[in-house]
Amino acid sequence: MRLLSWPSITQLLLAPLAVASASDYNDYSENLLLKSLPGNSILASFRFVSNGTFDSHHSVFPRSLAQILQQSQTKELHLKFTLGRWDAEQWGRQVWDGRTAGGTGVELWAWVEAADDSEADARWTTLNNALSGLFCASLNFIDSTRTIRPVMSFQPAGHHSPERLERLHLLHGTLPREPVCTENLTPFLKLLPCKGKAGISSLLDGHRLFDAQWQSMSIDVKPVCEESGKCQLQMEQTVDMVLDVERSLGKKDSPVPKPPPIEQLSCDQEKPYAGGDSCFPLSGVTDLPWSLSEMFGRPVRGSCPLAVVPTEEATHVCVNIAEKRSIFVSQGSEERKRSPELRCFTLHENLDFDIVLPELSPSTNLLLTPPPVYASRSLTGHGQERGGIQAVLNNPSSNSTVEFVYLESLPWFMKPYLHTLSATISGKDDGNIIQDIYYRPALDRKRGTQLEVRLRVPPGETVLLNYEFDKAVLRYTEYPPDANRGFDIAPAIISILDSSSQKSTFSIRTTSLLLSLPTPDFSMPYNVIILTSTVMALAFGSIFNILVRRFVGADEVIGGSLVSKIRGHVMAFVAKKRRAGGDKPKTE
Amino acid sequence: MAEKIGGVFDAFGLKTGKQKFEYTAAGGVYAGENVYAVLQAPRGDATEALVLCAAWVNTEGELNESGVALVLALARYLKRWSLWSKDIIFLITSDSRAGPQAWVDAYHDLHTPPAVASLPLKSGAIQGVVVVDYPTSRGFESLHIVYDGINGQLPNLDLINTAVRIASGQMGVRTTLQEMWSHDNQYKDRLRTMLRGMVNQGLGHASGPHSSFIPYHIDAITLQAYGDGWHDEVTLGRTVESLFRSLNNLLEHFHQSFFFYLLMAERRFVSIGTYLPSAMLIAVNFTIAAIGLWLKSGRLNDKEENKSSDGKASEGKNKLLESAGEVPSAAEQPDVVSEERPLLLSMAFVVATHFLGFMPLYLFNNLDEKNFTSAFYIFTLLNVILPPVLCAIFTKSFAPTALHFTLIKCFSLLLLGMFLSALATLNFSLSFLIGVFASPITFINPTPKRKWTVGAAWMALLQGLTPTTALVGVALYWGEPLSEILKEAAFGWRVWGMWTQVVVWCVWWPAWIIAGVLVAGSWAVEA
Repeated sequence: MRLLSWPSITQLLLAPLAVASASDYNDYSENLLLKSLPGNSILASFRFVSNGTFDSHHSVFPRSLAQILQQSQTKELHLKFTLGRWDAEQWGRQVWDGRTAGGTGVELWAWVEAADDSEADARWTTLNNALSGLFCASLNFIDSTRTIRPVMSFQPAGHHSPERLERLHLLHGTLPREPVCTENLTPFLKLLPCKGKAGISSLLDGHRLFDAQWQSMSIDVKPVCEESGKCQLQMEQTVDMVLDVERSLGKKDSPVPKPPPIEQLSCDQEKPYAGGDSCFPLSGVTDLPWSLSEMFGRPVRGSCPLAVVPTEEATHVCVNIAEKRSIFVSQGSEERKRSPELRCFTLHENLDFDIVLPELSPSTNLLLTPPPVYASRSLTGHGQERGGIQAVLNNPSSNSTVEFVYLESLPWFMKPYLHTLSATISGKDDGNIIQDIYYRPALDRKRGTQLEVRLRVPPGETVLLNYEFDKAVLRYTEYPPDANRGFDIAPAIISILDSSSQKSTFSIRTTSLLLSLPTPDFSMPYNVIILTSTVMALAFGSIFNILVRRFVGADEVIGGSLVSKIRGHVMAFVAKKRRAGGDKPKTE
Repeated sequence: MAEKIGGVFDAFGLKTGKQKFEYTAAGGVYAGENVYAVLQAPRGDATEALVLCAAWVNTEGELNESGVALVLALARYLKRWSLWSKDIIFLITSDSRAGPQAWVDAYHDLHTPPAVASLPLKSGAIQGVVVVDYPTSRGFESLHIVYDGINGQLPNLDLINTAVRIASGQMGVRTTLQEMWSHDNQYKDRLRTMLRGMVNQGLGHASGPHSSFIPYHIDAITLQAYGDGWHDEVTLGRTVESLFRSLNNLLEHFHQSFFFYLLMAERRFVSIGTYLPSAMLIAVNFTIAAIGLWLKSGRLNDKEENKSSDGKASEGKNKLLESAGEVPSAAEQPDVVSEERPLLLSMAFVVATHFLGFMPLYLFNNLDEKNFTSAFYIFTLLNVILPPVLCAIFTKSFAPTALHFTLIKCFSLLLLGMFLSALATLNFSLSFLIGVFASPITFINPTPKRKWTVGAAWMALLQGLTPTTALVGVALYWGEPLSEILKEAAFGWRVWGMWTQVVVWCVWWPAWIIAGVLVAGSWAVEA
């Protein structure tokens, strides 16, 4: 077998964990998979698994998280922080069947145990607020308008008793706008027993992680039970990232990109104009040389002492590269070669570990396995009144039909029209594409729209899923500070269903969208406020003046200066005279 | 072309898409193929995009050799950077007129599928477009910034300001506007720049590949290299790069600046608050005249009307009364009795004339381009004799009174005033220009018993102000044959969705016809 497909690698890596968890309770294991991707990119997939219980004080399972879960009665938790987009056409299938990757921003879903919906909502709010503090993310903004209760897309991954399953409520919330950054990484690392000081987690540096083409951090907590009935919590933390080798190495030379000098260009000399100052660049691609310490800025600082002892199956670092490519590792590590394309190593506790790969020309790539579905989504139409969404879903397989659930969670100010929902294959709808629809309409300012569509795509076909929507006009206080940027629409979630069990086996996220709503000129309320304030001030000033001031006749003023006294007397005299003169005719 | 350029983009490791399109307008077929590549922003999330575009052939029909090469080179250069927060789309269109329109329509999924193909690859909301037009391989002297959009819509002024600042401030390249190759920044040149801008805006045609983007609320400009000088591709490339860096740093869509402006020089503009009143005054003139006529029409046959009750406008009416031998007495003046107006006939006439406007609209949009010139001459001839003929038919069949003519004029002016004031907010220049051309209509007196010479003089004046004359004027201004202008108009209607013709044939032309009928009517109607 020349290549190892993704599922088999996953199984290989997962198998020892199952064995380990059966033998030892408070265990912890970690491993790193490096895989070369086309276009001089590298996928680094870190995976940390810790097991424990709520009540154990000596467990590797972080107490901070355990207490939150206990408080909010959360039985299963999935939290994803993602940045960038997974380029399926170039990189193929996602690692771990897409289970660990979320949509752009933050995505959270959990099974909460509660008697009814309102209690579940209250616990969900508790959970969000607590996690928000723990991970320094705006998870507290997941309110009822951003929460949905998916029906078809998710199934619990852990072991739950049937009685408990009935009491579990699935809640799902997304924050497509949340920028994932170092402040989220630090608490993430703190949950690990070695806290990024030793073991493979020592490679996780914010500068490198957030410079990746695509990166995803995820935390999945689920109960795992043995056959004997003993249960414990299993927390799986993963960090996946795709690094661009050229850019990571280029940072070393100059932080600011500059055009290379002409001597360093490789020009096509066969062009008629070649030579002198004109150059047609050659497109020959080579696999650039790289090493762990160059890519991540430092080598692995030994192995984590708390991790399980590596066995033949459970290794620390695996590298999945083309067979032709040679690999050099630092001393102190043991190589356990598994197959031509997958080479695994175990680390020594106190020795730094580094991998060096020399240049290889011409470039040789691993054969990629395509994902079950290629999905892209875009907005259609223009104007500020209405719009549409078009999802292009392509089944690359040549022989098998793929069935999946397409889940949209739309904000309330986007009002879709379900009668415009259409699924067509090359312009035609044979009535067989849409299998099932679950639709929960939005309530203004209370909850968003939830749309789940089960689709079936025949092999090699492309389905266009279209629907139209109206844009609502918001109140002016409801706009974010950067209203003219637009509003982010959460990525659609595509859960591939297993044809027999109808359980989701693979999940894919589309990219998020930017929806522009009619935006008022925000200087207008400001102008209104200024104007009204001015009018108010003038009115208040004069009215207050009139009310408070005591009006006294000029002649009634007692005291004052000599001049005013005289003037007062003169005035009084004149007035008296006039009154006397005026009265005369009448009295006659 | 598309194959080759697609191959180059592919070699850079960019995602490439192609799009075929075919339009038919006025019997001509406009087909081509666009090719584009998307540079996905590293760490980006595909929500926003910028477009760098070059047409294979520019608006003058020259091969845009350096422009296309520059886009290809920039694609390679910009890919190495990690600072992009927005995707960059590199678009090479096969022509400057139909290609960009086909592409941007398909990007927003508003295209007509068999003729214009869908895009295989899309990115986020487009925030800005820069088109590079550099048809020679020699050095250039100045950068010509073209900004007019379709239907006279304009990009945000900040984009133009950014381009001007970068070009003149950082690169030391002179910038020009509206083909004013030399501009001394004095009154005369500013006025000329502004007027040229107004003519371009009023015509509402696409002035470059960027124009098609503007109706989608995407700010777009074209940078044209002009003249012989010592600036080379590197200067233009650095300008574009710098412009893209600026656009990339935009947190929000361009807003809170000017979308309505008239540029007088690259750093001077007239804002909407200053210029809009002029067009509004012209439009309001018609409305006020119409209201005046309406008030007057109610009292027209009132026997107790005072001679001196009204100004100039009622003079004709008074003459009419005098001629009837019923001189109103001044004593009974205050009791004004309103009279019933014969609305139906006049209203029907005005509405019918406006619907008549659809005829030339249909004609000039559906004829074959070969017949344009002859059709135009026939139409012009018909146009000359149409008002008297219409008037003759009208008077013969309905025997209208002078009141009918007053009301016809009243409704016609009311409609004109309404259309023009609405249009002034959408396309200021078009409204202003039509308003200026149509303003004599206000002063036509729909009353008979004039000297025939006065009527003839009016008719001559009106014939000089027809839409057809304006068309000939535009043809002379551009120095192109008439058929080319008509072809452009038909193309604009079919491909760009240009509304200028609708305004000309369904607003201006009917108003003109009615004015002609009124003048002719003053000969025909006996009191």
